[in-house]
Amino acid sequence: MNDMSTAEIAATTAPAKITARNVQVYYGATHAIKNVSVDILDKAVTAFIGPSGCGKSTFLRCINRMNDTISVCRVEGKIEIEGEDIYDRRVDPVQLRAKVGMVFQKPNPFPKSIYDNVAYGPKIHGLTRNKAELDEVVETSLKKAALWNEVKDRLASPGTGLSGGQQQRLCIARAIATHPEVLLMDEPCSALDPIATAQVEELIDELRSQFSVVIVTHSMQQAARVSQRTAMFHLGELVEIDATETIFTNPSHKKTQDYITGRYG
Amino acid sequence: MSDISHTVTAYDDELRFLSDRIAEMGGHAERMVDRAVTALIKGDHGLSRTIIADDAILDRWEREVVDKAILVIAKRQPMAKDLREIVGTMRIASDLERIGDLGKNIAKRTVAVSEVKQPLRLYRGVEALAELALLQLKEVLDIFANRKVEDITVLRDRDEDIDAKYTSLFRELLTYMMEDPRNISACTHLLFCAKNIERIGDHVTNIAETIHYMVTGLELKGERPKDDQHNAVVVAAK
Amino acid sequence: MSDIIATGAAVPARPKNSILVEDKLMKKRNAAEARFKAYGIAAIAISLATLAIMLWTIFSDGVSAFRQATLTFPVTLDAAKLDPQGARNPADLVKVTTVGYGTLLTTAFRAHLQEKGVSTEGLDDKAVGDMISKAAPAQLRDSVLANPSLIGTTKDISVYATGRIDGFLKGRVTMQTAERDANVSPEQLQLADRLREAGILKLQFNSGFLTNTDASDQRPEASGLGVAIIGSLYMMALVALMVLPVGVAASIYLEEFAPKNRFTDLIEVNISNLAAVPSIVFGILGLAIFINFAGLPQSSSLVGALVITLMTLPTIIIATRAALRAVPPSIRDAALGVGASKMQTVFHHVLPLAAPGILTGTILGLASALGETAPLLLIGMVAFVANYPAGPLEGGVMDPATALPVQVYSWAARSDPAFIERSSGAIIVLLFFLVVMNAIAILLRRRFERRW
Repeated sequence: MNDMSTAEIAATTAPAKITARNVQVYYGATHAIKNVSVDILDKAVTAFIGPSGCGKSTFLRCINRMNDTISVCRVEGKIEIEGEDIYDRRVDPVQLRAKVGMVFQKPNPFPKSIYDNVAYGPKIHGLTRNKAELDEVVETSLKKAALWNEVKDRLASPGTGLSGGQQQRLCIARAIATHPEVLLMDEPCSALDPIATAQVEELIDELRSQFSVVIVTHSMQQAARVSQRTAMFHLGELVEIDATETIFTNPSHKKTQDYITGRYG
Repeated sequence: MSDISHTVTAYDDELRFLSDRIAEMGGHAERMVDRAVTALIKGDHGLSRTIIADDAILDRWEREVVDKAILVIAKRQPMAKDLREIVGTMRIASDLERIGDLGKNIAKRTVAVSEVKQPLRLYRGVEALAELALLQLKEVLDIFANRKVEDITVLRDRDEDIDAKYTSLFRELLTYMMEDPRNISACTHLLFCAKNIERIGDHVTNIAETIHYMVTGLELKGERPKDDQHNAVVVAAK
Repeated sequence: MSDIIATGAAVPARPKNSILVEDKLMKKRNAAEARFKAYGIAAIAISLATLAIMLWTIFSDGVSAFRQATLTFPVTLDAAKLDPQGARNPADLVKVTTVGYGTLLTTAFRAHLQEKGVSTEGLDDKAVGDMISKAAPAQLRDSVLANPSLIGTTKDISVYATGRIDGFLKGRVTMQTAERDANVSPEQLQLADRLREAGILKLQFNSGFLTNTDASDQRPEASGLGVAIIGSLYMMALVALMVLPVGVAASIYLEEFAPKNRFTDLIEVNISNLAAVPSIVFGILGLAIFINFAGLPQSSSLVGALVITLMTLPTIIIATRAALRAVPPSIRDAALGVGASKMQTVFHHVLPLAAPGILTGTILGLASALGETAPLLLIGMVAFVANYPAGPLEGGVMDPATALPVQVYSWAARSDPAFIERSSGAIIVLLFFLVVMNAIAILLRRRFERRW
């Protein structure tokens, strides 16, 4: 699956994992997201780029309804995951978030042991029946997050004692331990050094064989490296979404061109 | 260049340096070819030596452009238009350097050709071919300066004329050599000169296509015209 | 960008000076800084000095409360007088009143003086007997009733001397004051001197100060903090039991769950205002609601605890909310992002992180409540309570009790100068409790924070 070339994925006409239609987000009186419609493909990495405050993170947080925690935030329009509207009255955001995992900008492991960090999701969602199964899930998640070899001897030590890059990979392990279908990453490397960034990017590349990954990033190069499709946001609007190759060599909009070439503002 | 400048102004300066250097290289190459043809026709050995020496400048500038371009890529991680611009600049520099080489080659042949006085008619053919090629080169440099990509198709189509002219010159030289075997040595050199000029036309077309890609990000549509049929020319012995 | 450089030309350039030489402006700036530091040090020095003076006053006045003048002499517990029936029947024993024991004591005392050859000249028998505290017969009677086997034996006993003699030993009462004092005569003081030489009268550590109940104005020597300490302990325990769950639950709800609207804003404003309401208002509230309306017993530690709970609740809520707010939002995001419900997020992640803050806030709130006097006065805890409340399981919280700060207040209000040292002594005990509570707060904070 992994050997599918970037161009092939970008060009694929397979049905989208996530379809957003006419999404509007308001923070009180501020219109933060204006009429965004976008398709996010399965088993591919979609990058959201754009200047600060363009709404890319806001839109990302709509996909697992993290914006619900902000009382002044109001979302209109439709976001469907495999045809099911996540803003439907019957949807419990807690259940949705088990399906749509999230990794945040700053590594935020729980102040608990490495094991407990990863085991927390499966525990609260009742994914495992006994300790042996839980151990199994923790191990596979840590392995998928390329962290197992580094921490297998100290699973009981606190997650906050790891290095920044390890912490972020622990957070990724924690997110994938609940077997999500979509993984949202909000600038996952902005607090990491280049080596840790490379490790996380390598990980993202591997994860795309199993998940639909959406990543918000401020680094053009990172978007170009890890994603197959790139969406450009500006002032709350979606400027364009296209194959990453096209966006970074020959974008169709001048705004995208100016932004990625460093001519913004 | 875009109407908005980069946030980092030094980046703009670097890109400007590259395009300025290409313009300079173009001017230099154009002058070299022009003077090489003059030297050839007039049999001016002194001029031809100057031209041969001049080629070193073009080589040095090409290296400079490549070095600078690599440095900009490493420093600025250019994207989209800028990236195309820089890569295109490198390719154009290489084409221009080749044009310079071809000019130098023509200049080198001045000595051999001028040993035996040839009929003016033959020189006229080469001169006309050279004029056409130089016109093309001048125009492509204008397009590089003003980025009028819509002119490129016209320019590329005109390469046909060069090819056609070359084919007829080829036939003429061949006939001439058959008439009198003593002409063979000089005519072969002239033939090479003509071929060089035809190659300059090809490099110009290359540059035009590169400019098109640089500006639009797309390949120039349609087949490249090929009216160069000299490979099919057979002149029967009498 | 370029205009900044262009306009910069109008500003005179910085003079080129050696950085080894301090220029005029720098001197001025350094002087200002030095002055500011000096003000700070002065302010701290003044507050430390005030604190030192306060502590010194309290300790110099109060330490003596822990030592008490006692008279030690043998008493024969005559069976014929104390238990005429000889059956050691408790019902019969109770019939002998304190007066009977008083006679027994004075007789034994006088006899002992004669035996030791201590002259009692110039004093009649009554005056000699008055050297013994009026609380002594009751003390003796209580110990005999508790242990009837003592009857018939002769035993060395220690009883309190009267407050004036105690004051004389501590330097509070002198010959000059005694001349104008109806309760003590210079002759009695001279006798006290002789008694001290004979080793009968001496200052001893007085555990009764911590265990005795309050005593009347005439018997300062017998008064103690027992009821006040028990009352305070009952109250603190009850307050902690009530305020912690209610306060923490309310804070969690307000901070994490409550929608942000006008109504919750109103509640928030009111909580902040309640924290600033004078404590006596809570006393009036307690009087009206718990005593007059609910009919709970007056001056009971339960009512005191309820009033103090009401009073402390806003403080605890504010402290708890601050502790909850101090938990980084990234932890909440992490928990929600992994699919935890709001409640799981709060109880699994936020609360454990906020616990040290909450506990510290609560303990400090309790500590300030421990020192609270005004509301307790209004619900009758200032009343004279001569009996211990029952144990906590026997409904002791409903029994009348008093509290340490109230005891301080009521002793300070009494006319007998002997109560000055006692109220200072009570303050020392109160301070001790506060220090202990603060130490617990610090320990808890350390313990929880060290977990990671």
